Amino acid sequence: MSPEVQHYLTTLLVFGAVAIIASWGLDIQFGDAGILNFAFILSQAAGAYTAALLTLGPPETGGGITLVQEYFWGASVPFPLHLPAAMLVGALVAVPIGFISFRKLRSDYQAIAMLAVSLIATTIMTTSPHLLGGALGLHSIEQPWRRSLGLDKDQYAWFFVGICAVCVAFAGWVVTRISRSPLRRMLCATRDNEAAAAALGTNVLLLRLATFAVGNALGALSGALLVLFLGAYSTSDWVYGETFVLLAAVIIGGAGNRFGVVLGALLLPVGLSEGVRYLPSFGAPGTKESLQMAAVGVLIIAFMWLRPRGIVPERRRRFDELGRTRSVWSRRPHGDDVAGPPAFAEADTAGAEVTVTS
Amino acid sequence: MNLLAPGIAFGIVVAAILALAAVGFTMQYGITNIFNLAFSETMILSGFVGYLVNAWGASMWIAALVAAAFGAVFSTLLNQFLYRPFVRRGTPSFGLVIISLAVSIIMVNVLAAVAGTGVFRYDIERTTAFRIGPSAFSNVQVMIVFCAVVVMVGMHLLLNRTELGKAMRATSADPVLARSCGIGTERVIAIAWLVSGALCGVAGVAFFLSTLGFSATSGRTFVVLIIAAAVLGGVGDAYGAMLGALVIGIATELAAIWINPGYKMAVALIILLGMLMFRPQGIRSEYARVRAAEL
Repeated sequence: MSPEVQHYLTTLLVFGAVAIIASWGLDIQFGDAGILNFAFILSQAAGAYTAALLTLGPPETGGGITLVQEYFWGASVPFPLHLPAAMLVGALVAVPIGFISFRKLRSDYQAIAMLAVSLIATTIMTTSPHLLGGALGLHSIEQPWRRSLGLDKDQYAWFFVGICAVCVAFAGWVVTRISRSPLRRMLCATRDNEAAAAALGTNVLLLRLATFAVGNALGALSGALLVLFLGAYSTSDWVYGETFVLLAAVIIGGAGNRFGVVLGALLLPVGLSEGVRYLPSFGAPGTKESLQMAAVGVLIIAFMWLRPRGIVPERRRRFDELGRTRSVWSRRPHGDDVAGPPAFAEADTAGAEVTVTS
Repeated sequence: MNLLAPGIAFGIVVAAILALAAVGFTMQYGITNIFNLAFSETMILSGFVGYLVNAWGASMWIAALVAAAFGAVFSTLLNQFLYRPFVRRGTPSFGLVIISLAVSIIMVNVLAAVAGTGVFRYDIERTTAFRIGPSAFSNVQVMIVFCAVVVMVGMHLLLNRTELGKAMRATSADPVLARSCGIGTERVIAIAWLVSGALCGVAGVAFFLSTLGFSATSGRTFVVLIIAAAVLGGVGDAYGAMLGALVIGIATELAAIWINPGYKMAVALIILLGMLMFRPQGIRSEYARVRAAEL
């Protein structure tokens, strides 16, 4: 392969991995728990800034010289530590936002509150350049093990793709564990009928907070990968429209279906922008990008009308008395979920059979 | 240097624009239960329509009227052909929030693609009307406040003194009961969207008049102020929205003077979140209850 093709391919793979991890994070929140998190991109930003600060080292103190870039704090830690740290920060950022929104608010008010949080965070970060670089952002962030490995540019890019693959595998493990766990049934019950779930003894607030934190931790992981790959990050990378693209990926792929979400992530954030890249340029600079965002909006409305459950809809599942799902390979390809074997159907306890639908 | 008085005066100008917008926004929510996030984009679009009319040579008043008419028609069409079909189908309220956000993103991006990144301004003469301390206030600002007051009085008369206004309030309070009392709620809802759309159009022109230059993306964060004002007054309550607009307008301008202009939005957000946390029913809910008892 020529270096250009390699460069293109590795970049695409990394962006794909970032989109998949982020969409999974959003899917746990939106698909499973029904939380409309319009501030999701903040988790990606939290992860990205954390990874950047942990790479950049302590800020320069200046002393009359023009600073290269400004940030309030920094450290240098050895590489893999960035990722758990980013996830931790992402989860912690989620707690106050989630606590405020979930305590009392109806779902549409929650969405408004999140949207407001997202808009304000961007405004504050842009107007306070000394915190995290403001609109100029952080840059010259060294890629992990870039020097110590002694690889050339292309080899290193493939190495980074490997890191991403490990992270995708980890995120995939987390989300599939959740989709098979009792937790998810509680989440879906809460999503579909909050009052009933609460009456059965579910701590709805705690449950939502936990999901919110896990989803945001995955978002933060995607942000950390993104910033370590790109080496730069600024406020324009996390405007609220970015959340919207991820939300579109989840809705179009099929909220609540992990595979569908992967499909959505590959089609929308990655596929659409790559497709648009090859269109001939027209109009003023930025016209193509604007129309691309508009197309995302049109797609969302079209899907909400024509196929509100996405390309690959969430599966209806049945569970046995112990709450176990049946394994993937024993499931007949189509239609068996609706008419499951009677042995599974009539259970005597309240939570034993949960049919998961939206 | 005492900046309190000019701060409050600037706040009243902002509040005038916000009141126009927030009353429209709150009406839409009150009567159809839709958080129309495309509201601020409809404002911007109406503002641009006003700009086109103005640039074509018409006076600012005619431009504002055309913009109001455009806002009314656009909002009604939006409700009739997009929101209502989804509501009929039983799309939950958070689904409608997503749809309205999608509409707002389509609108802002199509507008950005058409209008580009240029900065526009209305062709209007600005003269200093009066001064408070170091700050000068232009005739345009006085006009905005005057217009807002006239419109608010008009809204008051509409809601209280006419059959239509009563029908609107009844539909907002309980659509099923209103229908069984013989109110044609479909028609009332359509008219409410016309009225709120007209308010939206006027607000768009006023918003652009208050800034020296505007571009396609000017209003992107303005929707937060509108929502904050509407929530502060109790969503669905027109008088509350006026009061909320006044509070938000003055609070944000004072924050801009005392802290940092960049934190205007943050103050609005803190008020919004605080209200959502502690009094989601709005500051005027006791009044609302009293009024409900009187009716």
